[in-house]
Amino acid sequence: MELTTRRRRGRLEPMYALFLLPALAIYALFFLYPALSTVVYSFTNWSDINPRDLSFVGWKNYKAIFDEDIYLTGIRNTLIYAVLSTLLINGVAIPLAVALNRSFKTRALLRSVFFLPAVFSPLIIGFLWSYLYSTSDFGLINQGLTAIGVGKINFLGDANLALYAVIFTQVWQWAGYNMVIYLANLQSIHPEYYEAAQLDGAGPWQIFKAITLPLLAPAITFCTVTVMISGLKVFDIIYSLTSGGPGHATETIVSLMVKKGLGEGFYAFGSAFGVLFVGIVGLITYAQLRLVRFWGAR
Amino acid sequence: MEQLRGRSLRRRFGLVSGELAMWIVAAIFILPIYYLFVTTFKTPEQALLAPLGWPESWSLSKYADAIRTMHYGRALWNNLLISAGAVTGIVACASLAAYTLARRRRLYSRAVFGLFLAGMMVPYQMGILSLFRLISEMGLMNTLTGVIFIEIAYGLPFSIFLLKGFIESTVPIELEEAATIDGCSVFRTFVAVTLPLLTPVIATVTILNVLATWNDFITPLLFLQSRDKGVLLLEVFRNIGQFSVDWTSLFPMLFLSIAPLLLFYLLLQRYIIAGMTAGALKG
Repeated sequence: MELTTRRRRGRLEPMYALFLLPALAIYALFFLYPALSTVVYSFTNWSDINPRDLSFVGWKNYKAIFDEDIYLTGIRNTLIYAVLSTLLINGVAIPLAVALNRSFKTRALLRSVFFLPAVFSPLIIGFLWSYLYSTSDFGLINQGLTAIGVGKINFLGDANLALYAVIFTQVWQWAGYNMVIYLANLQSIHPEYYEAAQLDGAGPWQIFKAITLPLLAPAITFCTVTVMISGLKVFDIIYSLTSGGPGHATETIVSLMVKKGLGEGFYAFGSAFGVLFVGIVGLITYAQLRLVRFWGAR
Repeated sequence: MEQLRGRSLRRRFGLVSGELAMWIVAAIFILPIYYLFVTTFKTPEQALLAPLGWPESWSLSKYADAIRTMHYGRALWNNLLISAGAVTGIVACASLAAYTLARRRRLYSRAVFGLFLAGMMVPYQMGILSLFRLISEMGLMNTLTGVIFIEIAYGLPFSIFLLKGFIESTVPIELEEAATIDGCSVFRTFVAVTLPLLTPVIATVTILNVLATWNDFITPLLFLQSRDKGVLLLEVFRNIGQFSVDWTSLFPMLFLSIAPLLLFYLLLQRYIIAGMTAGALKG
């Protein structure tokens, strides 16, 4: 019996392998091939002036990245954006989840309200906030600031402020989504832990530090890593809020790849930037996972 | 006894005031969306005078204008075609592949799973220049088909990851073995036994990919150039900046572009939230 099933299963193996084919074909053609050929292109002189007759130029494109300030600015902005948005989004989401994790009658409704901004495209959110931030008379935030006597602030026009103004909109958009994930994690924590801690006379802060935070480790890992990765990939919100300006104050890696690589036709150079980008994402994700695991083990 | 009752009363009070406080926070939080909605019904002067006030009239003429300018019907249709095509493709390809990846442990299977896992780590933006060349050489530039294939390729890794995990943890292998012994082919076993049990995770995969494909901006921006292939986000993007004086005219466009997903969310919010958290804590 055992033997015949095994033989039958063996005969079935090609059928199983066939199941992989549609997914693998599409994935290989539209994801793996572009990703791998990007590495090859990054060492060539491919550009819109020279689209066919490619030759290898060594590390030239990579060197070019470090020769121009704008690309270093882009990398720096991307890093600031990713790290700050990770800290702020999670820093808002965790307290919000703890506050909501009580037997409120309208808890489900509150959860839906906080989640709502995450459903919409960051592009549209960006256009909306460009009106809210505006220094024209209709700019809602500046109207408020003027009313309380602070005066107008040119959030998106000031090179020192613009990036942080962009980050703020994304904290607003994604805090609720991450809060929902933390909330789901919190609800899986057994109430007995809290009862025991209360009996031992632990204060709210102690309970949060000793019970809630460690048991939130799965959600913390997921949320910090995904927010960091999407932060490193940021594009839509930049495109609609500042399109990289003022000057190059909010230019990011992907916005530069689109602008310089595709828009101005420096294809090989854009490819090198893409490869460097993946290196940065990999390195940061790896470091972050190590950090979270180290913290979890402690 | 008295003391206990006092304590529980105090607790009740704390709960109610806590709930009230959360609603105040939620109201401030949702203010930008409220502002977006009420401004669609205002002239620039009205919006300037009372930016957060209730609209004086509910005239829909601005919506009618917006629908005309942004070719709303056509853009919405293109969006629907892309999302429907991509999500169908993802669900079909990913569940088939996940079945083999979950049930076969040979080298080829593990290697293929590794390739898909790599796709979850590598941002697709890396390869856009090469992809651009590929799409033009294949003659898929400026076609919805091209965008659909790209969306399928981006959606596959995480979907396969979720489906594989679900098959391994929830679908009893004994059922499949029984079907095989009864002489069912591999395909028949998959369709008749495994697939019906995948409904919850297919719902999750569908929701996640509907949101992702609908909100994707960079793919249509790069690969759909002609106006008649435009999706909602592209239409908004093209029309912005044309309304510096009559700036409130843009708000119906913003609202119309988020309206389909708003409706989707209002109708299915429980499933959407459940799906997105299930996806997260599995991942």
